[in-house]
Amino acid sequence: MYKEKLDKILLKIQKPSRYIGGELNSVQKNPDDVTMRFAFCFPDTYDIGMSHLGMKILYSLINEVPEYWCERVFMPLPDMEEKMRENDILLYGLESLEPIKNSDFIGFTLQYELSYTNVLSMLDLAGLPVYSKDRPDLTPIVCAGGPCVCNAEPIADFVDLCILGEGEEVNLELMRLLEKCKAEGCTKHEFLVRASQIEGIYVPSLYDISYNDDGTVKAITPLENAPATVRKRIIKDFDKVYYPENFVVPFSAIVHDRAVVEVLRGCIRGCRFCQAGYLYRPFREKSIDTIEKETISLCETTGYDEVSLSSLSTSDYSEIETLLGRLTDYTDKESINLALPSMRIDRFSDELLQKIKSVRKSGLTFAPEAGTQRLRDVINKNITEENVLESCRIAFEGGYTSVKLYFMLGLPTETMEDMDGIKDLCDKIIDLWYTIPNRPKGKGIQISVSLSTFIPKPFTPFEFEPQPTEEEIDKKQKYLLDIINSKKVNISWSRYPFTILEAVLARGDRRLCDVIYKAWKKGCKLDGWSEYYRYDLWKEAFKECGIDVAFYANRKREYDEVMPWSHMDVLVSRDFFIAENKKAHSEAVTPNCREKCAGCGVNRCIGGKCFE
Amino acid sequence: MNKNVRIFFSKTGRAIYISHLDLYRVFQRAVKRCKLPVWETQGFNPHIYITFALPLALGTEGICESLDTKLTEDISFEEICERLNSALPRDIRVISASEPVYKNTDIEKSEYEVNITADNAKLKEFFAQEKIITEKKTKKGISEIDLKPMIEIAEHSDGFIRLRLPSGTETNINANLVFEAFEKQYGVEIDLIRIKRTAVYCKNGEIFR
Ligand code: SF4
Repeated sequence: MYKEKLDKILLKIQKPSRYIGGELNSVQKNPDDVTMRFAFCFPDTYDIGMSHLGMKILYSLINEVPEYWCERVFMPLPDMEEKMRENDILLYGLESLEPIKNSDFIGFTLQYELSYTNVLSMLDLAGLPVYSKDRPDLTPIVCAGGPCVCNAEPIADFVDLCILGEGEEVNLELMRLLEKCKAEGCTKHEFLVRASQIEGIYVPSLYDISYNDDGTVKAITPLENAPATVRKRIIKDFDKVYYPENFVVPFSAIVHDRAVVEVLRGCIRGCRFCQAGYLYRPFREKSIDTIEKETISLCETTGYDEVSLSSLSTSDYSEIETLLGRLTDYTDKESINLALPSMRIDRFSDELLQKIKSVRKSGLTFAPEAGTQRLRDVINKNITEENVLESCRIAFEGGYTSVKLYFMLGLPTETMEDMDGIKDLCDKIIDLWYTIPNRPKGKGIQISVSLSTFIPKPFTPFEFEPQPTEEEIDKKQKYLLDIINSKKVNISWSRYPFTILEAVLARGDRRLCDVIYKAWKKGCKLDGWSEYYRYDLWKEAFKECGIDVAFYANRKREYDEVMPWSHMDVLVSRDFFIAENKKAHSEAVTPNCREKCAGCGVNRCIGGKCFE
Repeated sequence: MNKNVRIFFSKTGRAIYISHLDLYRVFQRAVKRCKLPVWETQGFNPHIYITFALPLALGTEGICESLDTKLTEDISFEEICERLNSALPRDIRVISASEPVYKNTDIEKSEYEVNITADNAKLKEFFAQEKIITEKKTKKGISEIDLKPMIEIAEHSDGFIRLRLPSGTETNINANLVFEAFEKQYGVEIDLIRIKRTAVYCKNGEIFR
């Protein structure tokens, strides 16, 4: 236990309470009474990781088994890392304050590609070799889950296995298997071979990858009976899926410091750039009773005065008005704020709008993503100008004075006309503002436009598309800054060096492992943080490994190319993505799943139809 | 009805790293969790009424910390303790609740127990000086102060010191300040130090109740 050692250093560290555990609802167990220990690592800082819902779910789920103990582990910031190294403190779990290298599992959740170097940092801080092949012992088994493992190839050499899809069932199956293998005295290899037979488990070392002369993947060959394709795990009865009764409540303020209730999983929309929209299919909802029960229980066990409903698109909940009515009955009585992040309000009745005051509090944001209806059709984003303006009208009449708009630059088929469309929309919102008779007096309207860059992600209809080059993006940004000169509009944009790395890591193959290793060795870590990001070092690493960034990011891929992720099956078929890609290029929209099934293929796994 | 309550609690172990600001939130959530009927301040941004008698320095343990609050229902002191303890993090424990006797402004000093690994001869020499000049951060900036007249050593043996320092609204000296001054003066780093506030005294010499 490191408590004493930590006492020596923590007062010299920024916000020490995030490095010591002991929060309300954190789980303590007697190490002698547990048979399996799981170190759940979030490869970013405490403040970010503690806001993450998936971690809360799996943490409670594992700890519910009396003889299993799950601990939380986060990436220390440089001041802490330095002190840890000086004082021989290995990376430890916040519950036991003991080194995680003695755990049975070290599990990473990979939410974004820019956290990969943190995985290496954390393994190294834990006192473990970063390459899987250099860890011969059965334990700890290093595993990874989360959306990024739909293409785990860039980290394939570092992890022992990946969990594809929803972890609620498979995590425990895996733990039981390891428990058994430990008792039988299996080797690590024997365990991995057996694990590869569990649906949803991907063991990278059991696949051989060969390449064509042009650098593309030639074949992916499974070894030792591993399945040719790894099928994503899904929870079939989502209404009954495990949900924690409580959350660990941090001492210090974190990014999203509130109770969160998941109301639905999946998305009916099918925006063609959105990976989450396909990865989390099929669409499943919890019943109102379940959501209400979980809301009350979480608020009561945490003491939070804010609860937020979480999903990819909460407005698509089938009985949203009834649900919000029921929930506000409770939250109003208990003076709890009900937050509805990025909710579409244009379809709500006035009565409901009156009730959910919190909608007004949490800011008004829209993601039209593209400036013209033509381009919105290409990306299948079903927001119209009328939707945006109508929501703005409702909001302005309710006292709002600012709007945030999200757009993506560099989308397939985009031209300068689409840039003009962004300006036009801003102008129309400003005009609308002046037509509102009871607009807040003495205050102007403020529009923030946030420009991100399109990243063609695996398992989307756009996976074949190239990412635009820096020059193209620059040109469009400059053009926009040029034509939008109203003081009422405030423009911010993402920086290309972040975007390009994200694209390469999202679309890469196993040959990127060495690049990541080199970059990390050169000092890259916390790449998602602008103050720590060192693209110059990344560039060196790419060069030294002889890897061409453009080959991964800016190259158009053919429909018949073997993708580095072709052996992953997220239940949506390749044929569907190809058909959707063709439709995009002919500017044809696909109706949402509730209107009409587009035949993506996911329904075959749930036995029939997604919607009755 | 409004029932004034003074709650004494300890803050030890892992909880010593909770900042003063965060401590308010910890109690606020605990109150909400155990449904204690605490009076809410009126006005634009109502919040539950809790005020702490004295801040406790980050990293210092306390076994006689206190806060004042008001309840809108008559609940027995025992029950208040039980309910809060069921809702607080492990290392913050409510010890007792009672009616306030003294005012916060009556507080004069605190007593600390310090376990320390450092050269004891040097420590003795340090405390025996005519003047102990060090810098203290105040609202106006950094100013020089002489700690000597403020330090009351009650007990000093090898590795253990019991001392009293001014606390309260006028002058408030944290125990760390004394040991930081020692480190600075001798250019050493104290290997291990554990500071615990063990008592708070009023101007009339009585324990703060
Ligand atoms: S099978 Fe049809 S309804 Fe189900 S997710 Fe796919 S497209 Fe939508």
